[in-house]
Amino acid sequence: MPLIKPTRLRSSRPRDWLLFLVCRRRRFRVTGRSMLPLLFPGQEVLVDPTAYRRPTGAPRLGDLVIAYHPYRPGLRLIKYVAWHTEAGYFLQGLNPAESSDSREFGPVTREHLLGQVVCRFP
Amino acid sequence: MLNHAIATLQAWFPAPAVEAHCDGPCGVYDPSSARIAAEAVLSMTKKIVDLDLPAAGDKGGQIAYHNTLSRYIAIKEEQAQIAKDEVLILWTDYFKPVHLEQFPDLHDTFWKAAKLCSACKVEVSLQHAQELMETVQKIHNMFWTSKSRDIPWYTAS
Repeated sequence: MPLIKPTRLRSSRPRDWLLFLVCRRRRFRVTGRSMLPLLFPGQEVLVDPTAYRRPTGAPRLGDLVIAYHPYRPGLRLIKYVAWHTEAGYFLQGLNPAESSDSREFGPVTREHLLGQVVCRFP
Repeated sequence: MLNHAIATLQAWFPAPAVEAHCDGPCGVYDPSSARIAAEAVLSMTKKIVDLDLPAAGDKGGQIAYHNTLSRYIAIKEEQAQIAKDEVLILWTDYFKPVHLEQFPDLHDTFWKAAKLCSACKVEVSLQHAQELMETVQKIHNMFWTSKSRDIPWYTAS
């Protein structure tokens, strides 16, 4: 199955700022280099925390997501959904040489997904 | 105006971090730790080989000899273990399947390096100590090539 890698992430718009102000979006700051060249360290993103809680909101291949590390409680990761198996979602970094991801810790369940990255901020 | 407000928001209310890398800060891996330890192994091996035996009946010389020899052996043993630990950390934690495509002999190289560390602990072998240095140099080149950086190899001695 070919990988669908995210190659673009739009900038935020006034609607995103409004959703952020009414707590429908969360801000996160990227650290580390494993999402280069799309996201660089220090870049902020806005996340839709309800995206995967809706019955129809299953993660799609290529989605940028925030997920909790399956074995390190509280550690949040930003990755993309590389593929989906019965065991869960296989997450990878865009810069595989510098990424610790599902190649090491295995697939993550939907409960581990904190939300979908929708845009940069600002 | 709006950009200024957003910049102020970002400065006053820092966003929580999300890790693009989940194994601590990037760049913590560096083969120079293995190189320093391997150099110490080579240095101690040379010193052991070059250590002069004291004259028979020279009690003070015998004590000094055994003391110095013991210290060299202890340092060699300790540094060989450090080199082995550092090499294994690079192998198991830093290098990933994607690197194997780039360096097909990656596993052989690291296996050889670990075995040479063991050999240098057990033996007093200039040949194996030198081979360890050469293998660590090969690992140095693999590591920095994988990061697309040109870091020259150098030794302290």
